[in-house]
Amino acid sequence: MSHYYEEMEESFRNSFEPAPGPVAEAKIRPWEKTQLVGKGVPRVDGYERVSGAAQYTADIVLPDMLYAAILRCPHAHAMVKSIDTSAAEKMPGVLAVLSGKSPGADLPWYGGKAAQSKLFDTHCRHEGEEVAAVAALTPYQAADALRAIRVEYETLPFVLDPAAMQPSAPKLYEGGNAVGEPRIVKRGDVAQGFAEADVVLEETFYTSVQMHATMEAHGSVAKWDGDKLTLWDSTQGVYDGVLFGAARALNMPFNKIRVICKYMGGGFGAKLEVGKYSIIAALLARKTGRPVKAMLPREDTFLCTGNRPEARMTLKAGVKKDGTLTALQLTNLSTPGAYASGTSVGYQVAELYKCPNVLVSESGYYSNAGRARPFRAPGFPSGNWCLEQMMDMLAVKLGMDPVELRLKNFTEVSQTRQVPYTSTGLKECLLQGAKAFGWQEARAAKKSDGPVRRGFGMAAGMWSGGNGSPPYTAEVRLFVDGGITIKTGAMDIGTGTKTVACMVAAEELGVPLESVRIENADTAVTPYGQSSGGSMTLPGLIPAVRKGAWLVKQQLLAWGAEALGVPAEDVELKGNAIGSRSAPDKKKPLEELLRANGVMDVIGIGNRDPNPPKKAINPFGAHFAEVEVNTRTGEVRVVRLLGANESGRVINQKTFHNQVFGGMTQCLGFALTEKRVLDRQTGKMVNANLHDYKVPTALDVPVQHQVVAVDPQDTECNLVGCKGLGEPAHIPTASAIANAIYDAVGVRPTHGPMEPKTILELLAKKKRG
Amino acid sequence: MSKEPENNCAGGPHGLSRRGFISSVSAGAAASTALREANAASFQVIEAVGTVLPIQLKINGITRKIQVEPRWSLLFVIREVLGLTGTKIGCERGECGACTVLIDGKPRYACMTLAVEAQGQEITTLEGLMDGENLGPVQQAFVEEDAFQCGFCTPGQIMAVEGLLRRNASPTMEEVRVGLSGNLCRCAAYQHIFSAATRAAERKKKGGMA
Amino acid sequence: MMKPFAYLKAKTPAEALAALNSKGARIHAGGTDLLGCLHDHLFTVDKVVSISGIKEWSGMTGRPDGGLKIGCLTTIASIAASAVLKEKYAVLAQAASEVASPQLREQGTIGGNLCQRPRCWYYRGDFPCARKGGETCFAVEGENQNHAIFSNGPCFFVHPSDTAVALSALQARLTVAGPAGTRTVPIESFFLAPEKAIDRENVLEPAEILTEIHLPAPAAGARSSYRKIRSRQSWDFALTSVALWLQVDKGMVSQARCWLGGVAPAPWRAAAAEKLLAGKKLNAALAASAGQAAAEGAVPMRDNAYKVEMVKGAVEESLLRLLA
Repeated sequence: MSHYYEEMEESFRNSFEPAPGPVAEAKIRPWEKTQLVGKGVPRVDGYERVSGAAQYTADIVLPDMLYAAILRCPHAHAMVKSIDTSAAEKMPGVLAVLSGKSPGADLPWYGGKAAQSKLFDTHCRHEGEEVAAVAALTPYQAADALRAIRVEYETLPFVLDPAAMQPSAPKLYEGGNAVGEPRIVKRGDVAQGFAEADVVLEETFYTSVQMHATMEAHGSVAKWDGDKLTLWDSTQGVYDGVLFGAARALNMPFNKIRVICKYMGGGFGAKLEVGKYSIIAALLARKTGRPVKAMLPREDTFLCTGNRPEARMTLKAGVKKDGTLTALQLTNLSTPGAYASGTSVGYQVAELYKCPNVLVSESGYYSNAGRARPFRAPGFPSGNWCLEQMMDMLAVKLGMDPVELRLKNFTEVSQTRQVPYTSTGLKECLLQGAKAFGWQEARAAKKSDGPVRRGFGMAAGMWSGGNGSPPYTAEVRLFVDGGITIKTGAMDIGTGTKTVACMVAAEELGVPLESVRIENADTAVTPYGQSSGGSMTLPGLIPAVRKGAWLVKQQLLAWGAEALGVPAEDVELKGNAIGSRSAPDKKKPLEELLRANGVMDVIGIGNRDPNPPKKAINPFGAHFAEVEVNTRTGEVRVVRLLGANESGRVINQKTFHNQVFGGMTQCLGFALTEKRVLDRQTGKMVNANLHDYKVPTALDVPVQHQVVAVDPQDTECNLVGCKGLGEPAHIPTASAIANAIYDAVGVRPTHGPMEPKTILELLAKKKRG
Repeated sequence: MSKEPENNCAGGPHGLSRRGFISSVSAGAAASTALREANAASFQVIEAVGTVLPIQLKINGITRKIQVEPRWSLLFVIREVLGLTGTKIGCERGECGACTVLIDGKPRYACMTLAVEAQGQEITTLEGLMDGENLGPVQQAFVEEDAFQCGFCTPGQIMAVEGLLRRNASPTMEEVRVGLSGNLCRCAAYQHIFSAATRAAERKKKGGMA
Repeated sequence: MMKPFAYLKAKTPAEALAALNSKGARIHAGGTDLLGCLHDHLFTVDKVVSISGIKEWSGMTGRPDGGLKIGCLTTIASIAASAVLKEKYAVLAQAASEVASPQLREQGTIGGNLCQRPRCWYYRGDFPCARKGGETCFAVEGENQNHAIFSNGPCFFVHPSDTAVALSALQARLTVAGPAGTRTVPIESFFLAPEKAIDRENVLEPAEILTEIHLPAPAAGARSSYRKIRSRQSWDFALTSVALWLQVDKGMVSQARCWLGGVAPAPWRAAAAEKLLAGKKLNAALAASAGQAAAEGAVPMRDNAYKVEMVKGAVEESLLRLLA
C-alpha cells in the first residue's frame, strides 16, 4: 500500500530517469507576457472554505448513517488469543460487529516485500493495531460497544530501538527485524576525497519521530448502492490512494467504486494510501445496509496513521582550505516501525553540493511502533539537519562565511544523475535571501554576552521531487457562453492547485478568472490525476491544464478562421463570441459557431507530456533564521525567518507565500517542539494527543516572516515552467534555526528537537567543559 | 435575524445534511442561510435510543428543541444532529480549536461543552456569520488575505477572530496573536491569518460587510 | 468518547451540595477538566452535577479587610483581564493569562483550575498508574522529562495549575463547603503530597466544593510577578514557573515569597530562597544566589535534571525583572 513511497525510493535509486518519449508539444510556446499568471489572487474556492460550504469527509452526514469505531490493541506487541463480541452485539444502538473472523474481513494488508499482515491481524506488532470494529447509531454507542468487546491477549516482548538488530531481540517477523539490505549510494572514492581534504569533520546527528497531526483526522464514509460503492475519504489521492487500494482490497472493478474528496483537512503524506478504516467502513456498510462513517479519533491518528521516522546519522565531511568539498560519507540507521516504509535521508546529502566523492549507507530495522509514512519531503529535513549543520561546522572551522561556503560548492549539474538541471535557483536563493535578510550585517554585529543571546543562521536545501510527470489528464470544457469548466481527478490539499489551474486556463484562453470553474477529485466523473505528494501536483497537473485549454483554443481558432474568413492567428475569444483582431466588426457568437459545427461545448483533453530527457528538474531554497536563546531557561525564540525559494515560475504569489510560511513553520515545529515519545517500559505512546504532542501555535511563529520568490525563467521543465513548492519550502528551516542557535550560544544542537531541556543540557555540558 | 423562529425538532442523530445529499460534481455551493436553517430544522427522528433529555438550543438566532443524551457534546449536536458542519471536529478534547464557536459572544470549544450546558446561551457558528449568501467581514478578510491552506481549521480561526473583535475592535498584533493562540493551523497559514484579523478589524470598523 | 451519565443542573448552592452528596457524583463548573478526564476514562461518573449556573459563586468582591473574595466560578479569562488584580495582585492576573488557551480561559474557572487533575501523561494515558489504583508510578523508570524534581513519591506528577502557584505566593485562604458546613483552609495546606494521598491532590472530600478564594489586603510596597516556562508559548503547562511576591521597603526586601510550579506535585515553596532574600538589598549576585537556593533539595530523575538549572535561571531572572 505504500507504493508511493516505494516508488519514490526506487526513483531515488534510479535517479529519476524519465521514461523515453517525445518532448513537450512543440507548438505550445512559453507565454511571452502574462496577464494573470504571476499575480497574487484569492483562491477560487475561498468562499467554500470560509463559509462552511466546503464539505470535508468529516462533514458527510447521510440519512440513516451509522458510526464506526475501531478496537485497537493496547499493547506494543501481542497475540490476540480470543475475541468475544457477544456482549457488544447486544449493546443499545449496535448494528454490526466486525473482526478478522467475519465474512469478507480476512483481508491481506501491508503488501510490502518483507512485511505481511491482515486487516485484523491476530499478531499485533504495535500499539493501536486493529482488532475489531463496530457500527452503531451514534459514535458514543459505538465507543460503548468497543468497551464491551472482550479480547484475550498474549503479550509479547517488544523492541523499540536499534537493539532490534541484536540476535536476541524480540522478533517482529520470522526472518528477523532487518529491513532488507543496507542501501548504498556510491560516487567516486571517499577515502581519496578525505585524503585530499585540509579539514575533515565527523559528527553524529539525530532527529526524532515527527507526527503529521493533520487537523482533519483520517477517515472515510462508505455507502453501497447494490454492487456500487461510494467512499468519501480524507485522502491525498482519490485514484492512486483510495480507489486502486480499495478495489484491490475488495476485489472490485475500478468503475464500481466512486471515491470523492473535494476538500481535505491536511495530509502532509499521511493520506497517500487507503486506510484500514476505509475498508472497515465499506464492510460494515455492506453488513448493515446503511452508510457508515469511520472517522478516527484523534488519539488513533497518532498511533496508526504514520509519522516521519527517526534518523540516527553520522556524517563525515572533507573540505579544502578554499571551501571545496572533497568527500561526504553518511551512515543512517532508522526504523519504519512495525511495517515497511521509506527511511532514507541520503539523497540530498549526495545531491545538494558539487562533491566528487560520496558514500551513503542506510539501513533499517523493524520495531514495535506505529509505521512510518511519507511526511512532507520524506527524509529531507533529517538529511538537511546533518548536512547543513555540517556545512556550518566546516564554515566555522575554515573561518568562512556560511553563505560563501555554499556558493563555493554550488552546482548546475545534478550530482547523483550527472545531468544538468533545467534550472537551479539555489545561487540566487542564497544571494537574494542573504541580501533581503541583511545576513552580512547581522553576522557582523557584536554579540551580547548577557543572559539572552541573539544568533543568526542559514541553511540551503533541495528536493528530489517537485518535477511532476505523466500521467495526468485535465478536461477543459468551454460552454457556448464563454464559461470554462476544468475537470481533473487531481487533489487540492490546501496548496491552491485549483486556483492555479483556473489561472492557467484563463491565461491560455484569455478569459477572466471568474469565467473559469474547476471540479476535482471524484473518480466517477473527473479524469485521472495522481495523488498529491512529492510536490508534484502543480508541475504534473498544470501543464496538462494548459494543454487542454490550448486544444480548446486551437479548435475555436480553426473554426473561427473558417467562419470569419480570416487567418487563425487573427482570431480571438471575446467573452461569448469570437472575433477578428484586425477587423473588429468581424465577429460571431460562440453558440452560433459551435452549433454550426454540431456541438454545444468544446472539450480539450490535456494529457501531461513527458519531461525532457537527460535533464534533472528540482526545486531549491535557502532559509535564514534569527533566534534569541535564553541561557538561563533554555528557551529559544525564533524572532525572524526568511525563506528564499525557487520552484520555477510563480503562478500565484499569494499561495506561494502562504506555502513558504507554512513549510517553514512546520519545520520550526520539527526543530523545537515536536517528537513522538514512546514509554520504554511498555512501548506505548505517551503523547498521543495534541497537547502533549506539540504543534506550533500562533505564539510560536516568528513575528517577522519573509518570503523571497526566485524565478529562474525555466522554459524547459514543462509547458508552464513551474516546479513544486510544498516540500522545498519545508526542508532547510530546522537546520537554519540550529545554526542560529550555535551562532547565539556556541553549542551545537545535533539532536532534535531543540527543547529548553536540550539547550540547558548542552549549556551545562559546555560549562563543565 | 431579529425574530426568533422556533422549530420543534425532536432529536436523535441523523437528518439530511444541510445541503442534502451530494450531487455528482457539486462544488457544495451554499444554500441560502434561510434554506440552510430550514433544512436543519426539518430533521426527522431516525432513531432515538437511550436516556435522553429534552433541551432547547439557540443557535444563530433560532431556537431548536431537541433531545440529547447528557454526554453529547455541543459539537456533536451542532454537526451530526443539526448538520451545521461549518464547525469542524479536530480532537474532541479541547486541544486544537477547530470547533470554536461563540457562546454568548465569547469563543469557546464546542467539543468541551456539553450540549445540555449550552442551554439558555446564544450560540453562534460559522454559518451565523453569513449574511444570506454573502460572507461576513471576517470571512471576507480570510479570503482576501489567503488566510488558510487546507481550510479545516479555518472556521475555528474565523470564530476566534470574530470573538476577539467583538471584545476588542482594534487589537494590536500581539493581541491578535494571543487571540488566535487557541487555534492550531497545521498548514501554518498563521502569517496570513494575522493579516486577515487586522483586515477584518478595519472592515468591521467601516461597518461594512463584504 | 465519554460513558453515559446522568446530569443535574443545580440552581442554588444547597442544591449543588445535596446533589453532590451521593456516590458517583462529580462537579461540573467550566467542564474543561472534567470532560477531559471523562474522555480519557480516568474515573467513572454516574451523575454530573453542574454548578455553572450558581450566581453566588461567581465574580469578585472586595472584603471588609481590604482583601478580595473570588468566587470559584469566576472564569480564568476574567481574572486575567481584571484591572484590580493586575494592579494589586499582578502575580495572579499574569498566571491566569498564561493558562491554556483563550477559549479554555473563557470557559475554565478558578476553582476548576485549582482542582484540576494531574496532567502526567501516564495518568492521562492508558497506563494503570498508582494514582489510578495501579501499583507503580510509570514515571520513575519511564519518560520523566516533565516530572517532579521535588517529590517524596510514590507519585511524581507536577501540579498543573498556574493559579495555584500564584495564589500560594499571595497566601490565599480557601473556603470549602460540604455536607457538614463550611471550613476555611489556607492554600498552603490545601494541596496534598502523594505520600499523604495517592488518589487525590487536595483536601476536598468527595462531597465538598471549593467555593471561595480570599486574598489578603495588598501590603504596602508589595509587588509580584509570574513567570512561566514551557515548550510552546500557548496551550502548555509549565516546565517550571515562578510566582514571586516581594515586599520592598527603601530598596530592601523586607519579606519574600517564592513559589515554584511545574516541579512538584503541589506548588513548591522555595523556602531557602525566601530566607536568603529577606532583609537584603537585591542585586545580581543575590538574585543568582536566590536561584541556587530555590533549587536546593531537588532530586532529579533520569530526564529532568534540566529543571534544576531552569529553576535557578527562572528565579534569578524573575527577581531581576521584578526589581528592574
